[in-house]
Amino acid sequence: MKIKPIVMQEIHTTHTSFIVDLHLDYNVTFITGDSGVGKSALYSFIEELSANDKRIRCFNYLDQKKNYKASIKNSKGKLFVIDNADILLDDKMRQYIAFDAQNQYVIIGRNPTGLMLELDEIYELSSENINGRTLLSLKKSF
Amino acid sequence: MITIYKHGQIPKSIETVKLNDVYFNKYTAQMLDNRANRVIEKIDHAELTGPYTIKSRFDGTTLNTDKLSSGCKTVLNIMYNPDKVFDIRECGDNALDMIYSLDEGKICCDYPLISFDMTRVNVYDKSKKKCREIDDYEELKEWWSGED
Repeated sequence: MKIKPIVMQEIHTTHTSFIVDLHLDYNVTFITGDSGVGKSALYSFIEELSANDKRIRCFNYLDQKKNYKASIKNSKGKLFVIDNADILLDDKMRQYIAFDAQNQYVIIGRNPTGLMLELDEIYELSSENINGRTLLSLKKSF
Repeated sequence: MITIYKHGQIPKSIETVKLNDVYFNKYTAQMLDNRANRVIEKIDHAELTGPYTIKSRFDGTTLNTDKLSSGCKTVLNIMYNPDKVFDIRECGDNALDMIYSLDEGKICCDYPLISFDMTRVNVYDKSKKKCREIDDYEELKEWWSGED
C-alpha cells in the first residue's frame, strides 16, 4: 500500500566512519537482503540518532518481551524502526502497520508478508567505500 | 544432512532456539574454532582474528563476534549445537545456502525457507516419530506447507 512518508523523507546520520543516507519514498520501507550486509549495523546507527530525535523509536529482538506493540498503537507522528521483524511482527501487527496512517515505519527483515507492500517498496542496503568512509544507502530490491 | 522440523512438531526432548543472536552471544561464541572461519568469511565477508574478535568487512576495524550478522550466527549455532533446533527465519539467502550444505544440524521455521541449492534433507514426521529423506525442492516445499 503506497502512502507518502508522513514523518520524514530522509534519514541522515554519521557514526564514526559510517555515513547513513536513506531516502524514504513510502510510509513503510522494508529492508531485506543477504545476511551480513550491515542491516543491523544500520539499525544501531539509527537507534543512536533516536537519542537526539524524539520522532524516532527503535525496536529489535531485545524488546521482544517489552510492550512494543502497545507503544506503536499508542503513538502518533513517530518513525518506528524495527529490526528482527520476522521475530517481532506477528500477522496482527503487520496488518496494523499496513493500515497505520499516523506513523511511519522502517522495517528490517526477510518476510514482508502481511504488510501489503508492492515489489518496488522493498529495498536492500547498499554500501559504498568513499575515501575510507562507508556510505550506507538504499536501493530497490526488485 | 540437516533435519527440518515444523513448528509445533518438535519433540519436547529437543531444545528449540528462536533468538539466535542471544544464544550465539551466550553459548556458541565460546565454542568457535577453525571451522567457523569459512562461514564467517563466506557470509559476512569478515575474518575471525581471535577467539572473540573479527575484522570488519567495511573498514577493517576489530569487532567483537557479537557483531556478526544474525544469519551468520544462526549458521554457527546450527553447526556447533547439532542437538538443538534453531529457527532460521532471519537468514538471508546466503546464510540459507550454507545451512542446506551442512553435514548435520536441526532447523525449523513457520513457513518454508528452502535454498535453491538444496540436495537432500531429513524431515521429521511427528506421527511416525521418525525422520525421512527428501531430495526434491518441490516435495520439500509441499511437506513444509502442508497440514499434518
